[in-house]
Amino acid sequence: MKRQPQTKVRSLVILLIIQSMAAAFFMGDVIADLSFEGLDAHVVFEAVVAVALVIGVAFGVREMRRTLERTQRSEAALSVARGALADLMEQRFEEWTLTPAEREIALLALKGFDINEMSALRDVAAGTVRAQLSRLYRKSGVSNRTELLSLFVDDLLDAPIVETPGEFKAARPPTPLS
Amino acid sequence: MEASTEERATLYWDPLVRITHWVIAATILLNGLVTEEGSQIHVWVGYTAFSLLALRLVWGGFGPEEARFSAFPPNLAKAKQHVSDLFAGRHKAHKSHNPLGALMVYALWGALLVVTVSGIAMHGSPFAPVKDHAELAAPSVVMASYSHDGEEYEEEYGEEGEEDGENEILEEVHEAAATLLFILAGLHIGGVAVESWASRRNLVRSMTVGAKRSQNT
Repeated sequence: MKRQPQTKVRSLVILLIIQSMAAAFFMGDVIADLSFEGLDAHVVFEAVVAVALVIGVAFGVREMRRTLERTQRSEAALSVARGALADLMEQRFEEWTLTPAEREIALLALKGFDINEMSALRDVAAGTVRAQLSRLYRKSGVSNRTELLSLFVDDLLDAPIVETPGEFKAARPPTPLS
Repeated sequence: MEASTEERATLYWDPLVRITHWVIAATILLNGLVTEEGSQIHVWVGYTAFSLLALRLVWGGFGPEEARFSAFPPNLAKAKQHVSDLFAGRHKAHKSHNPLGALMVYALWGALLVVTVSGIAMHGSPFAPVKDHAELAAPSVVMASYSHDGEEYEEEYGEEGEEDGENEILEEVHEAAATLLFILAGLHIGGVAVESWASRRNLVRSMTVGAKRSQNT
């Protein structure tokens, strides 16, 4: 998924390079022909081809720049969204007065690990994890993991979804981007 | 996370900058060290270098921010400042080329432009058959066929004729600029090494893979 725009950009660059080379070769030929043989149908035809190639390069450059800008924008939006989610989680955990262990359990639960995996990751008994989970559910006022997750998704979907980066930045000023 | 975003922005070279950089580097090495001077391959490689340089210059006008000339204007005062900063052990991060590197970029482009334009002026069309020096000087069939076994004819007949005189000057310019280009390229590599050390960032990496991204993920 992440590769796709990069592949597109790379193919565009290769196309641009081939086009520029063709343009330079044809231009060189046209100029040499003009100075040695003068104007004739052949030279005019070649000149038209050369000019078309140069125009093609110009369009390619424009398209390439747009693609790059689009990629950068979506990356920026994603990083803003990540920051927003992290902030939101921090804020909620604070409100619910979670202990450090419960925070970690909450994070793992949100990431989709099951109780066995959590107990292995945290190196504690499955019973402990279960107890911590139920404390977490009680503190956050939910009855299961899906409800816990929906608390965050709901808040994120509530906010206006990114349309222009400017709008989004206005909604969330604290994240400075580059 | 914010720090890594910022770092990514400082190290980002777009694919066009990267690919033109390495292909041009390859053409310079090829034509300077491998191909035979004046051969067909030499001419084509030269044309390739010229076209990529032209593409990069267009990109310098219309490309993304870091690639544009406006991101690294030639500024002697700032370059001097950069040198004294280096000696003082201070380092400032730059989004594009550092001021000293910017001067090198323009010098390299200038030298490459002189080399390629003089070469193209000497040879003309990329599709023209390779001109034999002796053939130019003594256009008889016998001489032309003779000339293949040695370069003595070049020496003997090379000075004659108006066109050849002009070519002589172009050839001198071409060779002098090519030598300069190699010297500049050597300094450029040294500069990259120094800057990488001073900034503790691998600049070669940012010119090959573009961003530092792959280290984070």
